[in-house]
Amino acid sequence: MAKLKIRRNPTRRYEAVYIFDSALEDATIAEKLEKLQGLLNLAEPATIEHWGRRQLAYKIGRHENGYYVISNFTAAPAVLPEFERALKLEESVVRYLVTLYEHELGAPKLSDEELASRRRASDDDDDDEE
Amino acid sequence: MRRQKKPCPITEAGIRYVDYKDDRLLARFITDYGKILPSRLSGVDARHQRQLSKAVKKARYLALLPYVKGQTA
Repeated sequence: MAKLKIRRNPTRRYEAVYIFDSALEDATIAEKLEKLQGLLNLAEPATIEHWGRRQLAYKIGRHENGYYVISNFTAAPAVLPEFERALKLEESVVRYLVTLYEHELGAPKLSDEELASRRRASDDDDDDEE
Repeated sequence: MRRQKKPCPITEAGIRYVDYKDDRLLARFITDYGKILPSRLSGVDARHQRQLSKAVKKARYLALLPYVKGQTA
């Protein structure tokens, strides 16, 4: 478990996923993204990952494909309402999701010992299983 | 008689946190219709099952996974 730190100026780590209209040019998307990220007034630059175009699992309105961008950043919670309002109004964004950043994709593997000890621990307390 | 408990496939894979962006992982834990597979069938432990259900719901919102699969649109 991560230790909780109490800070005077609370900022939190967030993760935002944007789905842009895939019909837009890459340059336009980059520009829009920069504009939106700019609203956050970040102290340090966000980590941005472009997934690029991929097919949506279902149609969203007329869209069948989307351009996915994932952004990790640390910001004060107070900037979010305005940020989300802008996202909602932005027509090039088909959908978005802002969540607290919890873990990165492909988390580090547990070592064999850790795995074994977890096994043991879970064997001890499985009495509530059917 | 008690059946032997299945090892949790998520723990086995060394995943500590189920990420909603990992749609290939999540896809292993949904049924043919796109429903979340019960842990009774998949053997996922309770902690990971909770993470999984949240992750699947986020992934659905982001159109990484379908809400209903196998539907002819």
